[in-house]
Amino acid sequence: MVAERSLNPAAQTTAAPLAGIRVLDLTQGISGPFATKVMAVMGADVIKVEPPRGDVSRTHPPFLGDDPHPEKSGLYLYLNTNKRGITLDMKQSAAQGILRRLYAWADVVIEDASPGWLAAHDLGYETLERINPRSIMVSVTPFGQYGPYRDYQATDLVALALGGLLYISGEPTREPLKLGGHPSEYFAGLSAFSGALIALYHRDATGEGQHVDVAQVEGIASAQGYSSLGHGYIHEDRKRMNAFAPMYRAKDGFVGAMFRQDNWADFCEMMGRPDLTTDPRFADQLSRRDHMDELNAIVAPWMAEQPKEDVYHAGQAKRMPMGYICDPADLLTSAQYQAHGYFTTLDHPVTGPLQYPGMPMRWGEDAWDLRRAPLLGEHNREVYCDLLGYTTHELVLLRNIRVI
Amino acid sequence: MTHMALEGLRVLDVTHVWAGPMCTRMLGDMGADVIKVESARRMDTGRGEANPRGGPGSLYPDGIPGERPWNRASHVNERNRSKRDICLDLTHPRGVEAFKRLVEHCDVVVESFRSGVMARFGLGYRDLVKVKPDIIMVSLSSQGSTGPEASYGSFGATLEQTAGLASVTGYLGGDPTTSGTFFPDPVVAVLSVGTILAAIRQRQQTGRGTYVDMSQREATTSLIGETIMDYTMNGRAQGPIGNRDRVFAPQGVYRCTGDDMWIAISIRSDEEWSALTRVMGEPGLEHDPRFSDVLARRTHHDQADAIIGHWTATRDAFSVMEELQAAGIPAGVAEQGSHLLADPHLKARGFWETVTHPEAGTAPFLSRPFQFSKTPGATRRHAPLLGEHTEEVLREVAGMSDTEIAELAALGVTENDPRAVAASPD
Repeated sequence: MVAERSLNPAAQTTAAPLAGIRVLDLTQGISGPFATKVMAVMGADVIKVEPPRGDVSRTHPPFLGDDPHPEKSGLYLYLNTNKRGITLDMKQSAAQGILRRLYAWADVVIEDASPGWLAAHDLGYETLERINPRSIMVSVTPFGQYGPYRDYQATDLVALALGGLLYISGEPTREPLKLGGHPSEYFAGLSAFSGALIALYHRDATGEGQHVDVAQVEGIASAQGYSSLGHGYIHEDRKRMNAFAPMYRAKDGFVGAMFRQDNWADFCEMMGRPDLTTDPRFADQLSRRDHMDELNAIVAPWMAEQPKEDVYHAGQAKRMPMGYICDPADLLTSAQYQAHGYFTTLDHPVTGPLQYPGMPMRWGEDAWDLRRAPLLGEHNREVYCDLLGYTTHELVLLRNIRVI
Repeated sequence: MTHMALEGLRVLDVTHVWAGPMCTRMLGDMGADVIKVESARRMDTGRGEANPRGGPGSLYPDGIPGERPWNRASHVNERNRSKRDICLDLTHPRGVEAFKRLVEHCDVVVESFRSGVMARFGLGYRDLVKVKPDIIMVSLSSQGSTGPEASYGSFGATLEQTAGLASVTGYLGGDPTTSGTFFPDPVVAVLSVGTILAAIRQRQQTGRGTYVDMSQREATTSLIGETIMDYTMNGRAQGPIGNRDRVFAPQGVYRCTGDDMWIAISIRSDEEWSALTRVMGEPGLEHDPRFSDVLARRTHHDQADAIIGHWTATRDAFSVMEELQAAGIPAGVAEQGSHLLADPHLKARGFWETVTHPEAGTAPFLSRPFQFSKTPGATRRHAPLLGEHTEEVLREVAGMSDTEIAELAALGVTENDPRAVAASPD
């Protein structure tokens, strides 16, 4: 949030929302880094600690030009904007002394080690509390810090399964279907972000820090909504139905349509079939669900002739909540995303300029100040020498013994 | 009593359906005083219709709408726990005035109307700062309040489509599709909790409030960053890959014994493949050239799926999970509602909170995706009945006299019976 990038140059700029918050980020992959990315763009000073060979996400595709180079992973580049980066091999005892010094610096320490690992190395919450009782530790793991599955292994798919979202997705006659990408990991990241902010609010009010326990599987169990409510409240089990928003093949892609009581007539009009408005088979939500095949036999052939965006805009003009499937190309050219400046071009010494997704909200008159992710160990000197007071000579020694 | 994390924070909540209400419910669980504003004319749509047909597939316990269905609907009762509820007709000038008197005593106003609706009520950010200069207003609209599609509406399922998430969701070789839930709603809910508190922190530091204008569509796009980057870096638009992973192999969802029972299994390394062959009692497969490394396993993914699926088909899903996890392999049952509520891990962590509601009975509800060592959250009260706290809030928060409250009631501004009013066209 700097003045020269303000949407309105005359506007009075304010300090970024999280300016002054110091975050020590010991996480890798998606969940933790996504949490600290949001905090960093909101103005927090995030020091990202990577093992000397780099965050595991540096080895994950996509890579620029399909070249598996540690500075060219789109996943890493996206998730680590606005952070400072240092290297440190946490497994070495020399590193553990350094980390305890960084604990004294941090308002928030975020970590994703196997539950118990930090405590076993005198780096757990009790250590943090002793060093800096005002600070907050956020632990982000698949199953959380306690409970019978604590030491279970998880991937995104497994977390979706045990959190109840997998079962209800997909076609009723086929196997449950995963939501694309890494939804449970990103969700855990958002949970860690909000968990940290709740703890900071309490800290600012009382001076008391604490330990926040984020479990990926509880994120998904919070997001599934329908399964637990179906069984525990309505007493009617939720199955896969895949008919939430019927999807139709359009001329150049797919259109999604939600027919509700207040827009069914408009849709019939759009199709040039006002006669269907009075057809009892389609009279209300439940009848349309009961006659889905007949409905589709009418809608599908019409839809197949229409360009996807035409149906979307025409429906929305009549206040129908239509959708169409956007691939990245559609998003990059979307007039709406362009109007918001959602995609931002960031230069980078290895990749050159690339377009990145930005922040999903506007903040008063201020614009977000998006900055590229750090190179591996880019801020070692700045952090070890300028912040922690090591000499250049000591930095060389630490490098020699491969601590950093 | 323990100090609750968000004690002292007061939120005026004009959101409906899922994303907004779930966000403010979590704030309420953590100690904020959340006042939900509805009206008989414009109930939270999560309350369903005033005169629903009920029966199977409806929102009510055992399909029975009861005397006041809007107080029995599942969605509203799950997503509005830990709040108070007030009825104010915001199309009436006296309703707007009462709303402003509440704003004077609140830190945050959160709303999720179609963009422009609050301003039409005379309750846009510009109107609110006149009442309370440091107010924080957060809009959770479909696509933000500016841009050519600002007035467009959406649901979670259509957002999955327009945000790009659906373009990477679908069976291998099949069409793109959406999830079995409205995934963007809880995403926006959880993102918004921290966002609101970030705005509060900014106010503490600068003395100024702000207007936060969230796009639910963009929030959903932020979850597929690497998919977007593949396009901006390489011009490639990834398609659906079913239950597989883009890096390791094999990964899939395999049928087990029992009704619609499935197990999700991921093999992330050669070591995990070896461990799997041992658990399956197929040591010969360990060094089978078809599966000896990740490239080979990707090439022969269908064959690996067939072998694993054949093994799981005669086994109990929970036993398979335990056996594989004991061998260090990521595996999880695709849990249905009954499994979730009985899940030993979620149970041990106190994830489900049992709440008794005066008109809907007792039920277990999901809690929160974060736990706190010193300020635990909790459902502090059942979801409010429509307008349950109108008088209390007007008296205690807005400081109104009994005469003023009676006047508002006589004018119908605080009416709380949706059958007594005609539905609003907006």
